[in-house]
Amino acid sequence: MTEIQHGTRGEVDPAAPRQSPSHGGSRQRGAAIRRRASARIWPKLGRFGLFALPGLVAYVVFVLIPIGMTGYYSFTNRNPFNPPTKWVGLRNYGDLLGDQEFRQALVNTVIIAVIVTVFANVGGLLIAMLLDRPTKLYVALRGIFFTPVVLSAVVISVIWQAVLTDDGLLNSLLRGLGVDHPPGWLSDPDLALYSIAWIITWQMLGFCVVVYLAGLQGVPRELQEAASIDGAGRLARFRNVTWPMLAPALTINTVMLLITGFKAYDQIQVITNGGPGTGTTSTMAFQVVQTAFNGNHIGYSSAMAAVMLVLVATVSVIVLRLLQRREVTQ
Amino acid sequence: MDDRTHSWLRPLVAVFVGAVFFLPLYLVVVNVFKPGADIVPHPAGLPLPPTLDNISAVLSRPDNLFTFGLINSIAVTALSITILTVLSAMLGHYLARSKRVLAKVAMVTLLCGLMIPVPVILEPITGVLKTLGLMTSLQGLVLVNVGYYVPFGVLLFMGFVRSVPLELEEAAELDGASKLRVFWQVVFPLLRPASASVLIFLGVWIWNDFLTPLILLGPDSGTTVTVGVYRAIGQHQSDFGAVFAFMFLATLPILVFYLALQKNFVKGLTGGAVKG
Repeated sequence: MTEIQHGTRGEVDPAAPRQSPSHGGSRQRGAAIRRRASARIWPKLGRFGLFALPGLVAYVVFVLIPIGMTGYYSFTNRNPFNPPTKWVGLRNYGDLLGDQEFRQALVNTVIIAVIVTVFANVGGLLIAMLLDRPTKLYVALRGIFFTPVVLSAVVISVIWQAVLTDDGLLNSLLRGLGVDHPPGWLSDPDLALYSIAWIITWQMLGFCVVVYLAGLQGVPRELQEAASIDGAGRLARFRNVTWPMLAPALTINTVMLLITGFKAYDQIQVITNGGPGTGTTSTMAFQVVQTAFNGNHIGYSSAMAAVMLVLVATVSVIVLRLLQRREVTQ
Repeated sequence: MDDRTHSWLRPLVAVFVGAVFFLPLYLVVVNVFKPGADIVPHPAGLPLPPTLDNISAVLSRPDNLFTFGLINSIAVTALSITILTVLSAMLGHYLARSKRVLAKVAMVTLLCGLMIPVPVILEPITGVLKTLGLMTSLQGLVLVNVGYYVPFGVLLFMGFVRSVPLELEEAAELDGASKLRVFWQVVFPLLRPASASVLIFLGVWIWNDFLTPLILLGPDSGTTVTVGVYRAIGQHQSDFGAVFAFMFLATLPILVFYLALQKNFVKGLTGGAVKG
């Protein structure tokens, strides 16, 4: 039986002449005939070609090849309106080192990522603990916190712009309360970046709440009760029973928030366009897109993109590893 | 214990925090149904009597920014998520079952794709689309969505395939079913919870995508509703009624889609979270 199978596989799938015996199991001659029938439709490609190839081709064409192109362009002076493209070695990367605007964008991106990660995690956990009751009221409130997660960042940005703009809803309210000169949340160069970080935090909060709620519901009631009988107070119960059980939820949220913060773009494009002033709210993603599509300096924008990718990947992988190790040891 | 002594405190705090959190969304919803002149003096007041003027103004725009955007968004999202669900289910199933080294390599490469921000690859993508003659076309956008989101679909499906007993597939093959038939009639129906998660997650993400359609569809050839919101604020910065009504209508379809499948969404989300 296995011989027949190996035989057909050899014809159908040249890339895979052998297959581990445990995988196929025993098969009937009928199955082999059927397989031959489907092999006629997908000649020479077989299982790999039928199941794996379509998805992989899309991924290779629209993700892997573009990554390779970004990497290659980063060593050239490519500019579609200023040919010819020449190899310039590491010059773009050297220029990046002295580029104040890029450095500011990088710092801004890190600030946004850190604020979003810390505040959405803390706020999400507190709200999840507040809503960790099964009655209708709390279930309805969970829905309220989750709504922004389903909305687009563009819509969220426009809403918050209406709230935070100089004569917007928040400042009208503050003036009504007697504050004569309320802050320019989006127009003050020292504040705008934090307002952007707040908007992203607000949008991601519901995601964290849902993930933490799932974690909280996985904490066995008996454990809490046992600790309570042993005389553990609320704080001790949280630190020694609940918090360790939430380790996987913390991992998911932190990685998700870091990636969201690092790629912040929509809010900046819609609300501040990088300002007020020069680049006070510019992020790496914003800088890459501006340089590529407004400046057409593809070589230079590709070097920025490469730096951004390496940074995002390194930080995500390190944080993921650290948090997962923590999950195991607890 | 604490719960009994402060039984009134928790609901009070919960409702207060929820209300403050919800305030910005409340402002949008009430002002959609308010005449434009009333919005600035009374932003938080209830729209009494409610008016549909803002909504009908958006629907009857001379440039059809909303109507065409809606059609484009529905077409792009529906096509993308259908293709993505089928392709990533097949690929995820293949990778979860295959023991070949090549499959492991493909899996790791795909997982790396989860971390790649769009701006990093966007300019070369326009190059690829121009080569294929698909730049500024809806088909091109759909294909890019498929390539970019396939790692996420594969990740979800792979985890789920491992919970489907291999014996079921072997039994079906023993009965003479082809590989394709085993997949469609035995495996795919069992993957329904994962399919629901993929459909909703990716449906929401693709509907809400801003940068990708902004660049790939370009300024001339119509756009999606999400990019339409951005274009609309450029035109009437101060007319909150018009902008809010546009956002309200652009959000309604995806909100309905999400609410209809909500149970699966949270289940899919938390299923992954608890497993870690």
